Formats: sequence, C-alpha cells, structure tokens
Amino acid sequence: MDRKLLAAYGAAALLLALAPRFLDAYWVDVLDNVGLYALLALSLNLILGDAGLFNMGQAAFYAVGAYTAAILSTRLGLPVLYALPLAGLAAAAFAAVVARPVLHLRGDYLLIVTVGLGEIVRIALVNDVFGLTGGANGIFGIPRPILFGHKVKRPEDFLYLIWGFVAVTVFLFHRLEQSRFGRALNYLREDPVAAEGSGVDTVRYKLMAFVLGAAWAGMAGSIYAAKMTIISPESFGFWESVILFLIVILGGSGSIPGVLLGAALVVGLPELFRGFATARMLVFGLVMMVMMVVRRQGLLPLRRVRFKAADVARAERERAAARPAPARAEVSP
Amino acid sequence: MKCRRLSLSKENRMKTRMGLAMALCLLAGGPARAADTIKIGLMAPLTGSWASEGQEMKKNVELLAKEQNAKGGVLGKKIEVVTEDDGGDPRTASLAAQRLTTKGVVAVIGTYGSAVTEATQNIYDEAGIIQVANGSTAVRLTEKGLKYFFRTCPRDDEQGKVGAAAVQKMGARRIALLHDNSAYSKGLADEIDAILKAKRANVVFFDALTPKEQDYSAILTKLKAAKPDVVFFTGYYPEAGLLLKQKKQMGWNVPFIGGDAINNPDLVKIAGKDAAAGFEFLSPPVPADLDTPEAKAYLADYKRTYGGAPASIYGVLAGDGFRVVVKAIEGGKSTKADAIRNYLVNGLKNFPGFTGKISFNQKGDRVGELYRVYVVDKAGNFVMKK
Amino acid sequence: MEQFFQQLTNGLAVGGIYALIALGYTMVYGVMKLINFAHGDLFTWGGYLGLTLLTSFLLQDRLGVLAGVGVLALMVMGLVGLMGVLLERAAYRPLREAPRLSAVVSALGASIFLQNALMLLYGAQFQVYPDGILPQGSVDVFGLRIPVVRILVLLASLVMMAVLYLFVQKTKIGTAIRAAAIDQGAARLMGIDVNRVVSIVFLIGPALGGSAGLLVGLYYGQVNFTMGWVYGMKAFTAAILGGIGNIPGAMVGGLLLGVVEALGAAYLSIAWKDAIAFCVLILILIVRPTGLLGERVAEKV
Repeated sequence: MDRKLLAAYGAAALLLALAPRFLDAYWVDVLDNVGLYALLALSLNLILGDAGLFNMGQAAFYAVGAYTAAILSTRLGLPVLYALPLAGLAAAAFAAVVARPVLHLRGDYLLIVTVGLGEIVRIALVNDVFGLTGGANGIFGIPRPILFGHKVKRPEDFLYLIWGFVAVTVFLFHRLEQSRFGRALNYLREDPVAAEGSGVDTVRYKLMAFVLGAAWAGMAGSIYAAKMTIISPESFGFWESVILFLIVILGGSGSIPGVLLGAALVVGLPELFRGFATARMLVFGLVMMVMMVVRRQGLLPLRRVRFKAADVARAERERAAARPAPARAEVSP
Repeated sequence: MKCRRLSLSKENRMKTRMGLAMALCLLAGGPARAADTIKIGLMAPLTGSWASEGQEMKKNVELLAKEQNAKGGVLGKKIEVVTEDDGGDPRTASLAAQRLTTKGVVAVIGTYGSAVTEATQNIYDEAGIIQVANGSTAVRLTEKGLKYFFRTCPRDDEQGKVGAAAVQKMGARRIALLHDNSAYSKGLADEIDAILKAKRANVVFFDALTPKEQDYSAILTKLKAAKPDVVFFTGYYPEAGLLLKQKKQMGWNVPFIGGDAINNPDLVKIAGKDAAAGFEFLSPPVPADLDTPEAKAYLADYKRTYGGAPASIYGVLAGDGFRVVVKAIEGGKSTKADAIRNYLVNGLKNFPGFTGKISFNQKGDRVGELYRVYVVDKAGNFVMKK
Repeated sequence: MEQFFQQLTNGLAVGGIYALIALGYTMVYGVMKLINFAHGDLFTWGGYLGLTLLTSFLLQDRLGVLAGVGVLALMVMGLVGLMGVLLERAAYRPLREAPRLSAVVSALGASIFLQNALMLLYGAQFQVYPDGILPQGSVDVFGLRIPVVRILVLLASLVMMAVLYLFVQKTKIGTAIRAAAIDQGAARLMGIDVNRVVSIVFLIGPALGGSAGLLVGLYYGQVNFTMGWVYGMKAFTAAILGGIGNIPGAMVGGLLLGVVEALGAAYLSIAWKDAIAFCVLILILIVRPTGLLGERVAEKV
C-alpha cells in the first residue's frame, strides 16, 4: 500500500471515528448503511472486480448469511456475533455448491444465471423453505449483539462495529491483492487463456474467489440482521444485487478505494438530496451508460501500470480484442 | 497516479463537506425552537409502490393540524407536523425513523405497511416516542409488549374472523383460499384458514399467486379443478381485477370474495364492470360511508380544501391517529410519552373518531369492530352490504 | 385430463408472447453477440405507448377495430423500433470495440433507465387499458373453452414470426443480416454495411418487442412499469431454450417455456412458478447450452 492511500485511509478513519460527535443519529445511521454496502460491495469486488466473474446474484449470499444468523440467534439463542463466522461459512458453502457448475459460463451468461439464482433464493425465502425462513414475514426479534459486555444498539454503536469490520476487510483484501492468490486472479481476469497456459488452475481460483466473496457477503448479512432486528425477503431482491454491481463498476472494478468511494456515492448521496429519491434509479441507469462510454474503468480505477513491458503487452492484447471475434451463432436455422 | 490522488482528496473533501453541512443543519434546526411548538411526526410512503396511500395520509394529517392550530393548537402551542418518507420499504423507513427521533417529535403517526412499521417500532420505542400506525394490520406488531405503540386500524385476526364468518354465511362448503405471498396477504389467509379449520369447514385449496403478473389463467384453471363453492383472495386489487376478468373469460361462475386490500376503484377498471359485478370484499367503511356527525363535517372540510373526497380510508385512519394523539396531549396535559400512553389506554374511552368510536386496550390495539362487507354493483360502485 | 389440456392452452397463450419478445433477443444476439438487457423494457414501452396512442387517437372508433388496432400496432412498432435504433447508437455502438463487460453494464443501465423513465412519466401505479377493444367471446374446441383473444394473440405472434423468418431468409437485407451474424469482418469485406445491418436489427427486434407489449396491454388490459423485467427474463430463457440466434428456436422455446410454466403451476406449485422457469434456464445453460435447435453458445474459456 502506498503512503498516500494510507494517509487517506487514516483520515477517513479519523473522520468516521469522530462522526458521532458532530452528526445526529440519522446521519450516523446513513454512515452505517454506507459501511454495510461498502462491505457487501467489497465482497462482490472479489468476484466481479478481481476475478472478472459477472455475478449479479450477490444478494443471494447476503441473504443466506443474514438468514443463517437470524435462525441461529432466534432458534438456538446463539449470540448474533458468534453466528457471524457461521453465517459466513453457510454462505460460502452455498456458493461452493451453486457456483461450481456454472463457473465455466462466459460473462453475460454467468450474469443471467446468477440473476436466476438470486431470484430462486428469494422465492425460496418467500415460500418459507424448510419451514425456517418465516415466509414473507421474514424473521423478527433478532437480538442485538453484545460486544465486550456492551449492548450494541444505537446507530453510533453500529458505526464502530460496521466500520471496524470494514477496516479489517480493507486491510485483509489489500493483503490478498498482493498475495499469490490475488495475482493469479488478476492474471485470470486479464487473459484467462494465458493464465491457464502458465499453470494457473483457473477453475479452482474462480471458485475460491466466489466462495470467499460469498463468505464476506454472508458475514455482512449477519451484521445487517443484527442491526435491523428483522429481516424479510424483500431486502434481498434483485435490486440489491444491481446496486452492489453498480457500486463496484462506478467506483472502479477491482480497486478497493474505488469501491469504498462508490458505496459512499451510491448510498450516501441520495440521502443528501432527498428530493432526488424517486429519480434515483433513473440517474443510476444513466450513470451506468455514460460511465461505460466515457470512463469505463470507474472513478478510482485499479492502477495496473507497473512495468513498461506489461504496458506494451496490454496494448497488444487490446488491439487483438478490438478485432471482432469470429462469430458462431447465426440468425438462421 | 495523479488521478488517484486527486480523486482521493475529492473523497475526503466530500466527507468534510458532508460533515459541515450536517453541523449547520444541527445548528439551524436545533432545540431552541422546539419549545414554541409541539412537533408530531408523520411517517408515510410518499414514494414507492404505496405512494398514493402516503400522499393521502399527508393530506389528512396536514389538514387536521391546520384546523387544530386555527383553534389555538394544543396546550397553548402550535402543532408542527414533521413529515418523513418511508418509501414503503423497511430500510428507508428505519432511516426515516432515525431522522424523526432527532427532530424532537413527541409522537409519530404511521405507517401503512406492516413490515415497514415493524422496522421502525424498536427505534421509536427506544427513543421513547409514541407511534400510532394507521394501516399496519399484522397481528404480531402489538404482541411484543411495546409500551408506546398504538394503531387505529384493525388487526388481521379481526379481519380473519369477519372473513371466515362471511364465507360461512354464503353457505359455501368447499372453500378455496388464494393469497399472494406478501406478509399481509399470507397472514390473512392463514387466519381465515385456521378459523375455518377449527369450525371443520372444508378448505380445498390453499396456494399463492405471484403478484404483478398478467396471466393468471393457469392458477384459475387449477382452482377450478378443485371445485370450490367460493374463492377467497386475500391479495391486492390489481391481481383481483385480473382474476375476475380472466375468470369471466373462462366462463367460470364461482363467487369471489376478497380482503380489505381490494378496496380501490381501479379494481373495476381492470376487471370491467361485467366481471366485477357481484364481487364482495371486506373493508373498513369507505370514506363516503362514514356517518358520524364529526366525519360528515370533516369530509366537507376535506372536500373544500382538496376538491374531492378522501381516496382511501387509511388516510382517514391516519387522521384519527393524529386526533387521538392531540386529544391525549390535551387530556394528560403533557407531551411526555408516558403521560400520552397512560391517557390513550386509560383515559380515552369511545373517542368519536371519523371511523367510529375509538378506545385502545393495553396492547395498543383499537377495541371494537370496524369491518364491513362491501359488494360491487352492476354499475361498478362499492355498496355496503347491510 | 381436462385440466391438462386447458393448462396446455394457457401455456401456449403466454408462450406466444414470450416467443415474440424472444425474437428480439435472438436477432440482436445473432448479429452483435450482445444480450440486450433493455429489450424487456422496450417491450414495456410498447405497452405504455400503445395505451397513450390508443386513448389519444381513438383509432378503433374511427377506423373500426381491425384497421384501428392494425394502425396502432404499426405506430407502436415504429416508435419502439426507433427507440431501439437510438439506444444502439447511444449506448452500444460506442462500445463495439470495448471489452464485453462494458456493453453488458451499459445494457443494464439502459434497462434501468428506460424502466424508471416510464415510472416518472406515468407514475408507479399500473395503467389500465380501455375495456373491450378486442372481441370478448370464447369458442369451444373439443370441450375446452378458449377465449377468442387468446387465439388472436397466438396467431399474431405466429404471423410475425413467419414474416420475420421469410424476411431473413429470402430478402437481400436478410442475407446481409445472416452474413454479418456469421462474420462481421468478412461481411464488411464483401461490401456489406455492417452498421446499417446492426441498425436494422435494432429496428426489427425492439419493434417486435413493442408489438408484444401492445398485445399484452390489449389482452390483459393492464400494464405496469416493472413488467418488462419478468417478461424479459422469461423471454430470454425461451431464446436460450430454443437456441439463441435461431428464429424458429425462439418460437419453440417460447411456447415450450409457457407450457412448462403452466404445467408446473398446475402440478407442482403455483408459488414456485418463477423459480421453475429460472431452474429451466440454469439447467439448460449447464446441460445443453446450445439450446434445442441452436448451435453452441456458452464458450468454455
């Protein structure tokens, strides 16, 4: 991590730590929401940004985590923070099962399949699957978490809990980026064929990215459950996945500071302009189109330029990609 | 590299700016002014799929506040209504509730959807603010032992009783229950199912349709195969209208009956007059059927102000919520939550509300029966069944 | 048994609409290798524009039902087709050389934009078509009661499909479309104006989708601004099921999906109906990505 980024993180952390002194409960709650979405978007960033897998069903993993935590804490009386790792595990296991058969699908098809998966999960929750999810009512009466003997219930308590978790996540994910795993993912996203050719086990790495991303979304889900004390299927619909997707794309796919900025803009900004609430999605849609044409890499893009040689190679690849690929399907029987 | 530094500092700048803006807000709207007025919050779905209900709630409460202020306010102070949009969705609602708690309101009126209300109950309870919901009928909302929660609308089990009775009065032996898997609709269907089963009635069909679709012929065909004498649909009017229309196209003549979410004139527009005629539904009295002197005077005021009758009974129920809160502040001579609660539970008996007499029990539920059975006539009007 | 055949007809009626929308996906995919996520929303726009034109011009009163609805359909198809062409110019053409993700995101953005623009223009409430424009009666076929409207809907989609098929197979422009679908570069070398072909494809596909929106409005009497999403997903499933890029495949896939849904609702569970459709989609992509009549689509990388 370079020094400027560190300084920026430090400043942001300081501002956030002091925020409850200057802001009322409402704005602190907005910051809580930004943090929650930042966590979720960071988890999606592993899959979408780092591994380049178009996953538009992240809400499904989020839901699995939230419901796992809710069920464990309301039925078995397990403190909700103890349920956090279990929620992550449940989401990871779910991802491992459902992702394996679809990983080989090409970009846009994977996207459609994950949309379908997300919907199936939502429909299953609404239909009270296994008699555990409470149907459309969802699960209520989830106990508030207790941390060091202190009951976490006010928005500022959650601010420290959520952003603390964000900080840990940011640290770990930056480490991950530099690890062998992170570099392998990078390679895989940039050129899957070359990656495979140089001995990267593509299927395994893709699956790992999926599972890890799902695990993080699941843990975020358990924090969400603890914060809301009630969860219901409509909180995990298709639009949640779209918003997460948007945060990652807007902020800068693969870039951790970019994703954080994306979360602040997509979740925080509409709260600053309340009148804009109804037109929110319209603007998001427009932003997605304009961004792709004007600034494809996002607001704070991942810095990829490290070696001159790589630069040249990338330029070559781009030129190759610019040539239309040979078509296979045709409009005829 | 350059670009990165620039954007990061932009992020920081934005945060500082946000902080400054908020600090200013706090200074400007601080507690200094709070002493001059009594603030009552309104949490309503001004946007989202229930926006029409929310707008209606706002109209009613604002008109009543204006009238009360013209009479000199309450306890010698003017009433100020603070409105927040809950968007008809739990997460937005919890933000709206946080926002209201910071604005020094003594009570909050609202809101419409049960799940939405539920997401805010704890926030108000922990902040010690009275909440009077106007459309949240889910049974469990008042079963949690929350001290400051009330509602002017009836509960689903109340409607379940009336519904089961209506079905049995029709002499139906084979009964089909159809819901739309929303919390409200499923809850009502479950209530009716439980009552009917306890009475050993024969429920031959119990399933859910998917709302917002256009083609329900597959469901109707399946329903028809179960050979029911009556079908009770507990969902909302857009689906009910389509069901009626497509039932007629199939040439199937079974009677349909519905719950209070059907009470909307658009039902007839969707189904067509022929297909809708004879359809029955339960509902609190529609605004036009409110017959107390207070209600008649109010409806006249409303018409003068807004140029038409209230479109929804839930708006009027929000108005009643506002009135009982004002009454309780006057009666208890205090704006403290405990005093208001005490008056609502113990002091307020048979208050002449627009929607009938209002009293509350210990749980915060309204006592007394509110539901009527309505039937659609040949001209497409909703007529109360005597 | 009676229920079985009745459900079959229910499924065919819905399937005809799926098929009509699926054609748009298939045509665009064939030439551009792009899933036009905004297609479902163009379909919705067809339903809304149809309603506005219907109530403002009252064509069915001036020209009679048949001519009135015919002219209305042409107007809607023209307008939605034009929207398609503009959409391609604004959101897809600048991205033709860009990585795949960009076009996908842009398409999604377009979908969200179009849907919410409708909401802001018309309001979040669903809109109701005037009653009784299409004939209301029904006919008995082998003891099954089938509404006339339903037969008309199915006929309309079959006719449009046939016309499209002949157009692509027999005309010069159709040949150009097929050539561009096989290899854009080679087509260009043969003197085919690929940009023009793409524009034509984006005229025809959305026009068909728009006509499906109008049909839905006339048949069911009600449209809402979010309906494009579900219809779009279903139609896309139909296109995959039949083999994407393949015109008769879209027809077969649409009808088949409609029937599978109706029978699933009848014999499994109504509440899980959409989940059944999505399972079909996922299974077909895993097991037979070529679809029933198509060629291989899901490349292994």
